[in-house]
Amino acid sequence: MGGPRAPGPAGLAHGMRLELRWFEVRELTVAPATALAGAPARLTGGRLEVDLEALRAQLSTDPRLAGVRLDAVHPGERVRIGRVFDVIAPRAKLDGGVDFPGVLGPIAKAGHGRTAAIAGVAVVATDQQSDQVAGALAVIDMAGPNAELSRFGRTHNLVISAWPAAGTARSEYLAAVRLAALKAGVVLAQAARDAEPARTEVFELPPSPRVPAELAHLPRVAYVFQIHSHQRPTGVDEGILYGDPIRRMLPTIVHPNEVLDGGVVRGFMGRNATTWAIQHHPIIRSLYARHGRTLWFAGVVVTVAHATEPERVRSAFLTAGLVAHTLGADGAILTKIGGGAPHVDMAQAAAHCEALGVKTTVIVEDMSTDGSAEGMILFDFPGVDAMVNVGGGQELLAFPAMERVIGADDLAPKLSGEMRATYGTLCGAIEQIGATTMMAEVR
Amino acid sequence: MPERLRVVCYVNQFFGQIGGEEKAGVEPLSRDGAVGAARAVQQALGDAGTVVATVICGDNYAAEQSDRALAAMVALVAAAKPDLVVAGPAFLAGRYGVACGALCAAVQAQLTVPAVTGMHAENPGVDLYRRSVYIVQTGAEATRMLPEAQRLVALGLKLARGEKIGAPAAEGYFARGVTRNVVTETTAAERATAMLLDKLAGRPFASEVPRPSFASVPAPRLVKTLEGATIALVTDGGLVPKGNPDGIEALNATRYGAYSIEGKDALDAAQYENPHRGYDTTWVKQDPHRLVPVDVARELEQRGAIGKLHETVYSTVGVATTLAQSARMGAEIAEKLRAAGVDAVILTST
Repeated sequence: MGGPRAPGPAGLAHGMRLELRWFEVRELTVAPATALAGAPARLTGGRLEVDLEALRAQLSTDPRLAGVRLDAVHPGERVRIGRVFDVIAPRAKLDGGVDFPGVLGPIAKAGHGRTAAIAGVAVVATDQQSDQVAGALAVIDMAGPNAELSRFGRTHNLVISAWPAAGTARSEYLAAVRLAALKAGVVLAQAARDAEPARTEVFELPPSPRVPAELAHLPRVAYVFQIHSHQRPTGVDEGILYGDPIRRMLPTIVHPNEVLDGGVVRGFMGRNATTWAIQHHPIIRSLYARHGRTLWFAGVVVTVAHATEPERVRSAFLTAGLVAHTLGADGAILTKIGGGAPHVDMAQAAAHCEALGVKTTVIVEDMSTDGSAEGMILFDFPGVDAMVNVGGGQELLAFPAMERVIGADDLAPKLSGEMRATYGTLCGAIEQIGATTMMAEVR
Repeated sequence: MPERLRVVCYVNQFFGQIGGEEKAGVEPLSRDGAVGAARAVQQALGDAGTVVATVICGDNYAAEQSDRALAAMVALVAAAKPDLVVAGPAFLAGRYGVACGALCAAVQAQLTVPAVTGMHAENPGVDLYRRSVYIVQTGAEATRMLPEAQRLVALGLKLARGEKIGAPAAEGYFARGVTRNVVTETTAAERATAMLLDKLAGRPFASEVPRPSFASVPAPRLVKTLEGATIALVTDGGLVPKGNPDGIEALNATRYGAYSIEGKDALDAAQYENPHRGYDTTWVKQDPHRLVPVDVARELEQRGAIGKLHETVYSTVGVATTLAQSARMGAEIAEKLRAAGVDAVILTST
């Protein structure tokens, strides 16, 4: 291997090429500083050793946080992780690349170069403040039947609990917690910096119009990725696209690698969506897997769900225009984030695509609150007839008692017991961007 | 060897071999064992169960005296202590189909005994009872009684034994319109890509969500001029007086409030709040007129552009609200407005 190379304009001139170097971790252990020779984490074979105290000290430097606690939990332990705020996959850019540009690192282009990626471990950020407004409670069970329903019940999890410093506003607190989780994820993945990966995945998509003649017959497929909903306005520190809180964002074309490689992180509204899923974006991966074989991956349009009608309509036709006229797509897949308004926003964009002759498939959540099929969706637009669903977040699910609760210390007595809550409560059971296998079946 | 199930059948006067239309007024009665069409059910059951009684009721009696007929039939069914009730099949016979659905629903609810029926897709009983009762899809006429009975019995045995019931297409019953989370083989993303490729290639594809069939409500014509009309303000945007006196839910609302604006030329932001969790309420909290324009409506009233502003504002929270609750609240509000002589409504949504 050569020396470090900055992914500058010279490298990018040949197109975007992202290399994910995968490391499978089967064991996560806590190690004292002395054992790791000063590094906060070390990877040996399938074992990731972490000096929790050193990492905690590093994360505690944020003046918005009054205290940080780290716990390592493992599949099979009778632990419930409470009030999960977000889940981050450990990733670290190599060769001088920038991690989560605009949020963690300085502004730079994501999606090119080599990135270390750890499989089998997740960083789970919890919310130690009760939030009356969002009211969301998401949990992860590390054992029992619900551990099977969520991917995060099967990963070794580094759980971050942090408390706000006096005078820290809610949004600042959440920004600090998320930043701590991103930092922790980078530290873990940096342990793999010099190791040989178990496998390497390459994501390389040429500029959209350059289709070889022999593949010109393939249908061109675009992905429309709604990355936030302004039902809940973003805070100033709530960077979503390269650190921008996207308050006034119009539909924009990005390279799919930018999404996979830290250019997009989830906002603070956590309904059935994690940053982890975005880092493993299942639709982008699905389109890449078929690219050049059964379809031509035409590109990604990122959009925001808006709060007012003019904004919604403007976004819908601009999206359709980019998909149909700029990317020249024959078909598009659309997903949403958030609740009912973004669900309609997505469908409206799909309807505009259909009106321009672009066939669409949309992924919806079953929106019914009473388990009735008639309440599954909140729209009926011409042409928007191909719908996949990720299940109903409102359906009830039994949660068995656990021995220990981590995160949401204030709720520990309640959360450790047997309870009935919704599928939406189980973080990772339903991912709105389609990373999960749950489906609401009409009976 | 499993125990033989006790099965009660329900048939109408024709299938119970009492007579044709001239006997349609026959009151509910019970006969021991399998009578008439119930013999096909017995044949389908084989060793799995015994038809211990056949309840028979005339179609006209069931339709015209429906409450009495139902109560009497439930009592007759209960007396036979069944493990399963098989009603019909009713094919395309409307009165019969409705009675089958009603009896199955009542038996399930009152006796907690599983029940199954069967009928043709266009039988009115399907729309009335598919949500609460397993209705097996049958042909229009009773030309193939045994195979139809076998399909009812197959599903009925599963219900009676508490076995898992498969999807409607697999089991042959009308979708009940309820949803259940199931774990599939592939991710939603993979299914979406595959569905799109099918759609692009013009191949058939099966959407995982039925297109809704919302009943359309024609807008009535305003028969007066605005100058003579009483206008009401109604909103589902969640504006409520401070303290939310009616406890309107932040989402999935089941309640609405009626709030007086008598003597008010405008709404004082300090006196209102908004529990709605489906949109950014910052701007409405800042100035409630952005949602409920009492200020402008009063000006129009004073200028004589409208006859009168109704002194009660109705408000609820419209987010994740079920269709059933929306329809009920809408009908109740409309009824109150009509009783109060309101001619037209400005409905503001978010």
